[in-house]
Amino acid sequence: MPEQLPPDDPVTSRPMAGLVLISVFVLMLTVSWSLYDEFYGLRPWRKYQAEFSSAYSNYLDKEYKQRRADEQKFYATPQYLKLLADVKAATDAARAKDQEIGQQIDLLDRQRAAMTDSFTTSRGLVGSLTYQLEQISEKDKSGKESKLKELNDAKAQTFDVAWPVEGGKIEQDKFNYDKLNGLFVSIMQAKAKLVAQRGDVDQPAKNAQDKLNEYVKEQLPGLASKDLFSLSQSMKSLDIHIRQINVNPTGTSLNNLGGAGLVDRCQSCHLGTDPLVVPVTMTLTKADLGLAKNNDAPFTSHPDPDMMKYHPLEKFGCSPCHGGNGRALDTVEKGHGRYEHWLWPLYYKENFNAGCQQCHASDMVTEHAPVLNRAKTLYREKGCIGCHRFQGFDNQDEELVSARQAITQLDNQKQDDRLQIAQLNKKGDTAPDNEAANRYYTEATNLTVTMSGMDAKIEQLDRRSANLLREIKKVGPDLKEVRMKIHKEWIPNWLKHTHEWRPTTKMPQFRLQDDEIQAISAYIWNSAIAGPELPKQMPGNAANGKVLFEERGCEACHSIGEGPNMVGGDFAANLSRVGEKDNYDYLVRWILNPRTRTRPYSPFEHKDLGPEDYAKHNLPFVFDLDHSRSPNDGHEMIVQQMTVMPSLRLTVEDARDIASYLETQKHADASFPAADFMDNPSPETMQHGKELIQHYGCAGCHEISGLEDEGRIGTELTNEGSKPIERLDFALLTEDAKLGVQPDGKKSPRGEWYDLKGFFDTKLSDPAIFDRGKYKPDPMDRLRMPKPNVTKDDIDALTTFLLGSTDPTLPQEYMYKPADQRAAIQKGWWLVTKYNCIGCHQIGIGQRSVLMGLPQFQAENKQNLPPVLTSEGARVSPDWLKAFLANPALSTTDVNRNGVRSYLQVRMPTFFLSDDEIRTLVSFFQAMSSQPQPYIPQKIEPITTAEKEMARDLFTSTAAPCLKCHATGDPGHDKSAIAPNFLFAKERLQPGWTERWITNPALIAPGTAMPSGLFKRDGDRWVFSGPVPSSFKGYAGDHANLLVRYMFELTPEEQRALMGRTPSGGGSGGAGK
Amino acid sequence: MNWHQIWEVASAPDNVPIVALLFLVPFYVWYAFRQALANDRLIDKLSADPALAKTEHRKTEPWNPKWEREVHTWPYLMRVELVAAVLVTALLMVWSITLSAPLEEPSNPNVTMNPAKAPWYFLGLQEMLVYFDPWIAGVIMPTLIIVGLMVVPYIDANPLGNGYYTYKQRKFAIWTFLFGFIGLWVLMIVIGTFIRGPGWMWFWPGQTWDAQRVEFAVNRNVDQIFGINGSWIVHFMPAANASYAPILARIIFGIFPLALYFIVAGYLVHRMLLLTDFSKKIFKRMTLLQMMTMELFLILMLSLPVKILLRLLLRIKYVWVTPWFSI
Repeated sequence: MPEQLPPDDPVTSRPMAGLVLISVFVLMLTVSWSLYDEFYGLRPWRKYQAEFSSAYSNYLDKEYKQRRADEQKFYATPQYLKLLADVKAATDAARAKDQEIGQQIDLLDRQRAAMTDSFTTSRGLVGSLTYQLEQISEKDKSGKESKLKELNDAKAQTFDVAWPVEGGKIEQDKFNYDKLNGLFVSIMQAKAKLVAQRGDVDQPAKNAQDKLNEYVKEQLPGLASKDLFSLSQSMKSLDIHIRQINVNPTGTSLNNLGGAGLVDRCQSCHLGTDPLVVPVTMTLTKADLGLAKNNDAPFTSHPDPDMMKYHPLEKFGCSPCHGGNGRALDTVEKGHGRYEHWLWPLYYKENFNAGCQQCHASDMVTEHAPVLNRAKTLYREKGCIGCHRFQGFDNQDEELVSARQAITQLDNQKQDDRLQIAQLNKKGDTAPDNEAANRYYTEATNLTVTMSGMDAKIEQLDRRSANLLREIKKVGPDLKEVRMKIHKEWIPNWLKHTHEWRPTTKMPQFRLQDDEIQAISAYIWNSAIAGPELPKQMPGNAANGKVLFEERGCEACHSIGEGPNMVGGDFAANLSRVGEKDNYDYLVRWILNPRTRTRPYSPFEHKDLGPEDYAKHNLPFVFDLDHSRSPNDGHEMIVQQMTVMPSLRLTVEDARDIASYLETQKHADASFPAADFMDNPSPETMQHGKELIQHYGCAGCHEISGLEDEGRIGTELTNEGSKPIERLDFALLTEDAKLGVQPDGKKSPRGEWYDLKGFFDTKLSDPAIFDRGKYKPDPMDRLRMPKPNVTKDDIDALTTFLLGSTDPTLPQEYMYKPADQRAAIQKGWWLVTKYNCIGCHQIGIGQRSVLMGLPQFQAENKQNLPPVLTSEGARVSPDWLKAFLANPALSTTDVNRNGVRSYLQVRMPTFFLSDDEIRTLVSFFQAMSSQPQPYIPQKIEPITTAEKEMARDLFTSTAAPCLKCHATGDPGHDKSAIAPNFLFAKERLQPGWTERWITNPALIAPGTAMPSGLFKRDGDRWVFSGPVPSSFKGYAGDHANLLVRYMFELTPEEQRALMGRTPSGGGSGGAGK
Repeated sequence: MNWHQIWEVASAPDNVPIVALLFLVPFYVWYAFRQALANDRLIDKLSADPALAKTEHRKTEPWNPKWEREVHTWPYLMRVELVAAVLVTALLMVWSITLSAPLEEPSNPNVTMNPAKAPWYFLGLQEMLVYFDPWIAGVIMPTLIIVGLMVVPYIDANPLGNGYYTYKQRKFAIWTFLFGFIGLWVLMIVIGTFIRGPGWMWFWPGQTWDAQRVEFAVNRNVDQIFGINGSWIVHFMPAANASYAPILARIIFGIFPLALYFIVAGYLVHRMLLLTDFSKKIFKRMTLLQMMTMELFLILMLSLPVKILLRLLLRIKYVWVTPWFSI
């Protein structure tokens, strides 16, 4: 028993007030916390908007002050004052008349007001009675009559009207229905007339005011001070609220958000992108707002306002292009969608072009998306496409298969139809009556006609297949001909040291062990075709070869020189060490015509045909584009090398010179270890080599004997950007990726990289990295992807491309698949880039060709550049263009020259384009210049004899010695010619373009040698701006037009006659003026 | 050791209740036992002096004769409850402000999450799926749990210990509860949360949850261990049905270990019920039906840990295999 008892029962006596107080206090504290969280914690955009409001209104105030000062100064300029005085004078002049008309209109208005009450009452009554009358049946004669009487009484009823008249007086009058109706009509007519009159009277004043406004707009562009002031006022009292864009395309889901469509609230923080806040004519930068460059306040306006024109906010919102969670506003991370559960995070800065790819996947070239364009070029040129299929990307092989399937299907259909025709005829023969018989016979006849239509279709498909066979190209060289082309020892060395030997090569570095290299080399060497033997070539002049190499335009695609000395394009191989590996004889043949094949390949028979196959059929061993069918079975064969390199139509001497020059391109100490293992390898080695080549997908880029039908070995990448992260194998790096540790052990600057971007970036920089730590004793189990030869920027570009290549979540109508002329442009770019037309030509406005950057085409040598093609579709006739593209020499015999610009050393090569490719290119140029298709030539007025004489005078005047620069076909003269022969004009040019050209060539091709200002504007015609020949006296026609018409009728005889009249070539002609 | 892993699991907003459970369950067990033992001491004192029992308030605190025998609910109980309600409300508010419910990505039927886990309160059931076939673990066992809890008042023949904490008077009930709730239910939730990783594999704390992990484990049925293939039964069957022999043999064979378990477990449970004089006294108060019901449920409850041990230690998949269900 305890000794001391507590005095009171603890249950009843223990005080609890303190505890209750504390707990209530705690509760109040949490309630206030939750209120704060509700209004500020979860709404960080409030703070941003408040900050923006003050920063932006400060900026606007500053701008306003500046602008006001500018305006004050401007309002004092005499030009402005004069225009202002003009306005005042014109207004004053019209004032008296204006006021007079105004008074008349006022009277009419008062009259109408006075009668309105009576008129509406009367009209209502009459209208209602008329309706009642119409409703009475015709039979009820008496009823009808009484109603008619009622109606007439109503019409006769008069109303008291206080009628205003001129002089401000008012007359009391009585009007009935007809009178009121008549008055109403006449008042309205009179008023309309007066208003028109007043418009005429005020016109001069209005014109003066327009002129003033236009002048102000011209001199002081941008927002006026009063606009700036009101904008600033509204920003000072900025209403802080969620700013959102709602896009609700019908029946679609955006970003898988379901039928609710798209809601983007980005502008709640990024206020500068709201056109209501920053007008589209303004731009807002951090510097404007007085923010440091590293301040991450999201206030600037959209950096590419041009882009916003094509992609209006109300249709596209923000997140479809940029990614991110447009609805989230709690935190920056949530809004940008950079958290585990948001599948469409904001693209990083270096990848923001990915947003373009989603809709522009069908484009090879997308404006405003340089990173994406670079990626697509890389994807093709680095040979990614050799292993990784990509929907719509160089898929001629697939098209070929489907064309062949379509043919088979049509053949089957025809067979079925034939049976049906026989059946129908039989039914007709046994039909009970003539009518039925005829019905059967007609049906049978219709079917035969349908069948003949199918034949046309089959014919086209056949041609298409033949074309496709020609269009399929390989990224890498043909390995069937290595025995003729390459020094044996070079091959294993190349496989081992790909990127060291040629640091700019497209070929990726494979992870091969020495025995694998030996097996592959042995297979390639021994499977290659051996003959027929190449003809032996005489040595050429290397010095001349160098000149030719630089002049003919080889460097538009190829570069030469190593490291910092490298000059030329990167479309094709760097040729600095070609001399170490290539056989001279083969090189000569290659330069003469790279498409020359030693043996044709028959895809149907799966073999290369040789002279023996032709001999069996008593045929000479001749195969080319005109003899492309197999002698054995008549199937189309591949008769050309599958390279995009064109023929430059050189003479064999020139080819030898260039080849000799290239043979000098080598390192002095070049030598390769002996490779005896490549001779007589065992069948096992050969088999192993073949398996390795299949395993590594070499045949994706190279033609290799026995592996012509190999498919692409890699993953299809069309929808790679939509791949769930779980499907990407980070292997043993998974944890590191989640912890943000890079493979090199350093902390990743952007933290966790367990996402698509992290995978693509890492995979592209080292594809083998995901094998790290894996136990794979058999090399065939290792990751196959070779290391691509790419820079950091290339990797960013390719990652961008892959991130954007998604299974489209956007509605179909957002996809850029135009149905109009732009489709031809879209399609054309694939070809233009395939054959690197832009290596030599400028095709898009602002685009620079490779040649434009080369040292040999600078300053006055710019005139040696190939023509600018920005207006090609408007310039030339498409019919001519077709012929030119097929044969740029425009001749079958004299081919060592350019067809049009024979004076240019740069050679327009022969690409051996297929008909479909020519069609695509012509359509492309037509569409680029907004030319309708099919082409119908413009009519030209025939030239009269008198005009002809005048034109001759002008043509040969000292002020316009046209023939001084333009070629004539006379070899002596053409040496100094720098412009095409006029004789081409008729077939080649379009008259409209020609006229625009001769009046102002600099508008079309800035920097052209053709002088601008030959003509000046005189009223609505062009007249020659030099001293006009005397024969032009009194001629009222257009001089430029006359010249064009003459040009289009020029004959060789006429031209020769002109030559005699031309002032001497060295004269002080006006061409340079 | 990968402490990041365990931190990630423990800090996930979904797992807050489980982390709390880890601390709250032991605390309240301790707290209940403290009160129960204090009461037991009082019971000892009062039963030693029956006179005292007439005047005592049966309170564990030292007694004062001036104290009221009873006190009112209002305000003496209600005010305590008010403070508790206020504090819990505050706690819930702080919880909801600081931890937002995670909204995950749209489901993708082609990619299921790994590991895919049930809500925390069902993790015990999910863990049971490892040891039984879905019929047993998902339907029979949960039904038995509910029915078992329902029969408790009907089989409880112990009149003591109602309305106050006591250990001495309800040892059997308390141990059964601790075994069933903490030993099975809570433990399996903790295992399901912290131990089961990708592929529902067993990861000790500190091990990385590696989705690539490969484990070799062969679980066999008891009949496979004994090589039962029906070769002896086929002689007694019509030739046409010979192919059913292995199935039939397995069914017949499986009954034996199961029966053995029931006999052994029944014996042990029965022995346990008669362990002390007190329990013998209670046992005598029970009807046969009450006794049978209680023993049946105890045997079934015991089968769960037995099966878990069989699986984890002896790699036994099923004891009794039939074409319809397996145990």
